[in-house]
Amino acid sequence: MTDLAAQGADAAHTPATVGRRRSYGRYVLGKVLGSAGSLAFVLVLGFFLFRVLPGDPARTLGRGRFRTEAQLEEFRATYGLDQPLPQQFLTYLKNTFSGDLGVSLRYRVPVSDLILDRLWPTLLLVGIATLLATVIGVYLGVISAWNRGKATDKVTTGTTLTLYSMPEWWLGLLLIAAFAVGMGPLPGIFPTGGLHSVDAEPGTIGYVGDTALHLVLPVLTLVLVYLADFSLIMRSSLLDEIGEDYLTTARAKGLRDVVVRRRHAVRNALLPTTTLIALSIGFVVSGAITVETVFSIPGLGLLATEALTIPDYWVLQGTFLVTSAGVILANLLANLVYGLLDPRVRS
Amino acid sequence: MLLAGALAALAAVLAAPLTPSPAHAADPVRLTVGITNEVDSFNPFLGIEAESYEMWALTYDYMITYSMEDMSPEPGLATSWETSEDGLTWTFDIREGVLWSDGQPLTARDIAYTYNRILDGGPESSSWGSYLTSVTKIEAPDDTHVVLTLEKPNAVLPLLPIPIVPEHIWKDITEKEVKSYAAEPTDGQPVVGSGPFRLVEGTAGGSTYRFEKNPDYWQGTSHLDEVVFQVYKSDDPMVQALIKGEIDFADDITPLQVKALEGEDGITALNGDSPGFDEIGFNTGAIDTETGEPIGDGNPALADPKFRHALGYALDLDQIISKVYQGAGLPGDTIIPPAYSTWKWDPPEDEAFSFDLDKAGSLLDDAGYTEGSDGKRTMPDGSPIGTLRLFARSENKKSVDTMDYFKEWLGELGIDAELTTMESNKLTNIILDGEFDAFHWGWYVEPDPDSMLSYMTCDQRGGWSDSWYCNPEYDDLYAQQNGATDDAERQEAVQRMQEILFEDSPYLVTAYNTIGEAYRSDRFACFQPQPDPGGILLFQYGVHNYLNIRPADDAGDCDGNESAQGPEAAGGGAGDDDDGSSTPLLVGGAVLLGAVVLGGGAWAMRRRSTAAYRE
Repeated sequence: MTDLAAQGADAAHTPATVGRRRSYGRYVLGKVLGSAGSLAFVLVLGFFLFRVLPGDPARTLGRGRFRTEAQLEEFRATYGLDQPLPQQFLTYLKNTFSGDLGVSLRYRVPVSDLILDRLWPTLLLVGIATLLATVIGVYLGVISAWNRGKATDKVTTGTTLTLYSMPEWWLGLLLIAAFAVGMGPLPGIFPTGGLHSVDAEPGTIGYVGDTALHLVLPVLTLVLVYLADFSLIMRSSLLDEIGEDYLTTARAKGLRDVVVRRRHAVRNALLPTTTLIALSIGFVVSGAITVETVFSIPGLGLLATEALTIPDYWVLQGTFLVTSAGVILANLLANLVYGLLDPRVRS
Repeated sequence: MLLAGALAALAAVLAAPLTPSPAHAADPVRLTVGITNEVDSFNPFLGIEAESYEMWALTYDYMITYSMEDMSPEPGLATSWETSEDGLTWTFDIREGVLWSDGQPLTARDIAYTYNRILDGGPESSSWGSYLTSVTKIEAPDDTHVVLTLEKPNAVLPLLPIPIVPEHIWKDITEKEVKSYAAEPTDGQPVVGSGPFRLVEGTAGGSTYRFEKNPDYWQGTSHLDEVVFQVYKSDDPMVQALIKGEIDFADDITPLQVKALEGEDGITALNGDSPGFDEIGFNTGAIDTETGEPIGDGNPALADPKFRHALGYALDLDQIISKVYQGAGLPGDTIIPPAYSTWKWDPPEDEAFSFDLDKAGSLLDDAGYTEGSDGKRTMPDGSPIGTLRLFARSENKKSVDTMDYFKEWLGELGIDAELTTMESNKLTNIILDGEFDAFHWGWYVEPDPDSMLSYMTCDQRGGWSDSWYCNPEYDDLYAQQNGATDDAERQEAVQRMQEILFEDSPYLVTAYNTIGEAYRSDRFACFQPQPDPGGILLFQYGVHNYLNIRPADDAGDCDGNESAQGPEAAGGGAGDDDDGSSTPLLVGGAVLLGAVVLGGGAWAMRRRSTAAYRE
């Protein structure tokens, strides 16, 4: 990091570093164009991918309701399902570029409203869980690598792996039974599901506390399951560094063990973890379907899964576009950060 | 686990100021209902899900409502009605003094306005058009009369399950806007309606819907101040929430959960009869509806009513009810459920389907489907029947299990069959292409049998008819009952139609469904089932129970309503009395979880140590 900062400071003065900056600019341009290409591909794919699904929304929704052929036709006409496919595709492109994601066939409200409603719970749940899992996971990974073979390592690795292998819904249900309903001496502190209580007034401190309380169990479930992802990667990449000569040098300089670990070993071992974190952040938007289901949190993952059964084309297209954009953006960011962290990537 | 403990402790600190204080007199009486599906639209012209119907029923009124006993028509906004001799004019007398929640009077003009929106086409007509079939004109000559003019008599009237919306609000919503008009509270203003409650908070696809009572409801105000619906995306946590007391009512739970809840103190659980059935349907002969040419590759044996009817004796419905439905259901026979006693036809005892493979075999023998030398039955011309292709819906376990049994029983009759399970959307396509022999599905039947009967007519082939059944005699009777002006005449036609279906067997009706419901009987009382007795407690036709229910403490005798379940209500309908409480199971699960985590740690330790030695 210090090197990079030094380069930045020098850049204004020496012609040599100007060239380097321009090459980073070109690198950025390339990555941005690549991402734009991916987005365009997703845009087109999103339309055709879901039209291939079996099923006719009018019939799925209208069973027992739209009794006559005329009623079915009326529904199709209202929501543009009677148009030929190329026509629908053009409408889709035109609307998407003007920021209109269409109207949900099931909920009959604009898809953009639906997605906005669902985005916040998802970001809260998966965002907090990813953040916690990253911090705790990386920390555990460092601890166990540094104490390789000792009891700390074995317990940490064993526990995270065991939790990793647990089905999320099962873990979630057990946590509900233990901490929401209460069991034996444990009182049932936490709510069994949802994101807030009926009484909570939006905008008050109580509301924030109430939402936090609702989030504890679902976030805990996700964190417990995600932990191993981060701790194992961190552990193995730190183990790779542990044998390196520069660590011996650092120790020889008389640095304390903690400093060697923090300043030298961990810093170098963080690169692979950065990739994983960036990818995880991208997937935050797509939600965590299982945990959303168990804890009845109205997130994006559930919205998309349920839309599949109809199929609710516009909701599917919209969520596909938004989640893909999330992943693509996170990837782009990771690439840009990589370019800064490691000049070799640029060439 | 340490982490969990620490978080729990942290949350305990957090929770302290938030824990609800003990109830006192000033607290509103709130009924919280757990449901498993979202409301799809609060706009009564758009929604389709059963949950939405309940929300409209709380928000709006209807001209006609339904009785608790058998869901026959009862006065709603219309106090009485009469029809002309020729059945072409219906005149409804409309109640006076009903107010919208914004204070405007509700008159006959609002009713005519609502119906005319449907008559004028658009999304309104795709939802409700079929109820106004053959209606050509709807007028409100004054504030207290609605007149419907028909081109031919329509026996389904006076049943009109259409929520009445206020003209002074909806006149501003154009035909183009209505397709995505949400009809939800805006700027903190509740939705304008006339029903016993008004929606103050909630949005389609959201997970909480809050209603406040209408203090001036014309049928008398509710004993509840608030009703809150909470969506649970899986039913186990919902049941846990009921046990914990976060919710007061859990709708649509499984028979196993009902059984488990019967052992809990202060909770009443039951499987209520719901007017719907499940059936095994056959490919009786798929055709191209334009040309009339056969399509698909249905097995010719199933085109023969005698063959299909014989299979009715190869179904052990008692076993299906006990094994597949966990006892929560009734063996079926016709497409009209027993709840609709006025319309239901019962097969005579000596002909009714009973599990009798010998009888099934001899009926098949008589029809020419005799056993060949290999023990397999053949077509009357001696050619092999081949393998029947059975289909089940993968998302419905009852569907898969029923067809599994059916396959076995067919085998015992000497008929080969193979079972394929798939998503219902895919199965719909296969049925429309006629590329099947039999499938399992179900129908929900409305209080008027007309729509269910119509699905079996020739005209519905390629539409909703999934058996491709066509019988001109049946169609004649359908038209006859649909235009009947005399109740007895219509009843006779409807019963004869069921008899024809029983003999021709395009469907073998396997079961009449139930819906599992449970509530905190230590908090609320006076739920009356619909149909009475044996029916469900909420999500009924009409809002009777939202007016019946009251806190258990001051339930008294439920105002003399003898069918309502008092505070010390009897247990539910699921016959079994063994106590299957789920708590021990979950405690066991938690112990197991702890053991697995610790064991996992220990195991990993040992593994690591051996690995370390190898290095």
